[in-house]
Amino acid sequence: MIPGRKAGVDSKDAATDGQIVRAVLAGDVERYAVLVERHRDRYARYAARMLGSHDAAEDAVQDALVRAFDRLADCREPEKFAGWLFLILRNRCFAERRRDQRESRLSDGAADAIAAPERSDRAVEQRERINALAWAVEQLTPEQREAFVLKHVEELPYEEIALMTGATVGSLKMRMHRAYDRLRDLMKEHV
Amino acid sequence: MVRVLVLAAGSARGLEAQDVATRLEGRVPTSVAHAVQAIAQDAAARGLPVELLIQKALEGGAKGVPADRVIAAVRVVATQLDEARGALREAGIQAPSPQAVEGGAYALNAGLNAHQIRDLGRVSQPPYDPALTLRVAATLTALGVPAQRGLHLMTRMMHAGRPANELRDLPIEVQVGMARGATAAEAAEALDIGEDAQGQQGHQGHEGQQGEQDQPRPRKP
Amino acid sequence: MTKTYHQLVKNLLDGELALADLPPELRAEGEEALRLAGAVDRTPVALSPALDARVMATVRRHAEAPARRAWRWLAAPRQIELRLRVRPAVLAGALAAAAALVLLVSRPQAPIGAPPDVMFVRFVLHAPGAKRVTVAGTFNQWDQNAAPLVPAGTGGVWTTTLALPVGQHQYAFIVDGRRWIADPAAPAVNDGFGRRNSVVAVTTQGARTL
Repeated sequence: MIPGRKAGVDSKDAATDGQIVRAVLAGDVERYAVLVERHRDRYARYAARMLGSHDAAEDAVQDALVRAFDRLADCREPEKFAGWLFLILRNRCFAERRRDQRESRLSDGAADAIAAPERSDRAVEQRERINALAWAVEQLTPEQREAFVLKHVEELPYEEIALMTGATVGSLKMRMHRAYDRLRDLMKEHV
Repeated sequence: MVRVLVLAAGSARGLEAQDVATRLEGRVPTSVAHAVQAIAQDAAARGLPVELLIQKALEGGAKGVPADRVIAAVRVVATQLDEARGALREAGIQAPSPQAVEGGAYALNAGLNAHQIRDLGRVSQPPYDPALTLRVAATLTALGVPAQRGLHLMTRMMHAGRPANELRDLPIEVQVGMARGATAAEAAEALDIGEDAQGQQGHQGHEGQQGEQDQPRPRKP
Repeated sequence: MTKTYHQLVKNLLDGELALADLPPELRAEGEEALRLAGAVDRTPVALSPALDARVMATVRRHAEAPARRAWRWLAAPRQIELRLRVRPAVLAGALAAAAALVLLVSRPQAPIGAPPDVMFVRFVLHAPGAKRVTVAGTFNQWDQNAAPLVPAGTGGVWTTTLALPVGQHQYAFIVDGRRWIADPAAPAVNDGFGRRNSVVAVTTQGARTL
């Protein structure tokens, strides 16, 4: 077993995602490493913002990639492997949020950082605002938070978010607009 | 065996008159065969799949049902196919697949109404196939799950991006619950996967009324 | 609770308006909103390089586990015994009731020329006192003599195994040539003739109640 990220992966593999999915389903398990390498980073930031931590994001992405393999036969459109992987990851993120809610494991440590700065040092102010917004986004409901992350962190248009999540543009906007108000309330010390 | 495969080939669009006659010959009275042939030709001309019509006639013949009741039942199926296709079109699916239309007819027969089929069709965007979601909703209803509850659960699962096979397995999960002594409704409720915990968007018209809550809503006992 | 943002300010946040498009009385609120949105952290997140190796190690293990070989059916049909996801204890409870249906599924060894989309489905009915039991449905054109069940043991259990094409089927049992009964444990739909039919969906992954 060769350690390291590119173990056995031919990074010049020119096959499409669909071709690789079919090859894996036909028994060429090692080719799955190509899909892993191609898509591992794509949703890392989304997972980190949804779960509030880098470590949790890494676990979620790893878990999603394994589940995607287990359920590969269910991938109806192999060319759209990335979108399908996203749904699996999204599911995982939502499930983890629900678990965190039930076990009251919401991170609340950053509440200390909310106190308004006394010095008007712009860089410090901005850094505090960034931390405060990150904390505030974590307080949103999973659906609101996802909408916010996809729109403002990943900078996707509503139409694309609708396609990815299965929600309608209308319901996304409604969700987002409630999120804006909630964020305003949570951030009132900082704006 | 060839016959069975023909049945399994799915809807036979543009079915020739001879095919209907051949399939029904000796299985139903002549009056039934002629009437069903006419119904099937009319349906095929309107672009509806006709397999379910032939199946219903064969079933009636096998069960020894009087001719007029068989014909009436076949007409009912034709109406259900038409209504199902209409509902799917209203849902924005311009060219529903034969499987989706048949699924819709099955759903109507199981007790869902056209509005519910339309609503389900709307939510069943890729990767969800309305042919599957309609069958799931219909089967849940056939098990005894109240239609609205089944639809509500499925809609939440689709909005949460659940894999299609989890939807497909819902009826089995309900049956397992029922085998343990729950009613179908209770089993479906127990399958609530926590979609309503914090942040549920109200579905089916409740958006904007309930708003979203930051605390998990208490589960019903 | 802080006052909510004006709708136009929300549109601004959505990127549908520019600050200059807002009426003067909303400019301050708009600027405040943009300051909030400007605090979004878009730092890319880099995952550990060891992630790929961890994923592939797990994937290789899963690929070899017997239970996971199921998805290889798509490429290489073979004989596999599958059970419905009903646990044995639950099954025993169901069989203790008046009548029950258990479907066990296996895929036939594909001889040359055999159709690929056929699965073996086993039907079981608990009908003590019956002299003859058959099953009829959309898979055999409702021919009530085409598929007789045979007694399995002495407990009043009857069974047969049929090769069914993939797809959805309706069916019913016929007891002693005259009583048509649907499976009480399966979903039932009206047959349009005053009785009920049972429904099963046969997929390449087994029989489903669907």
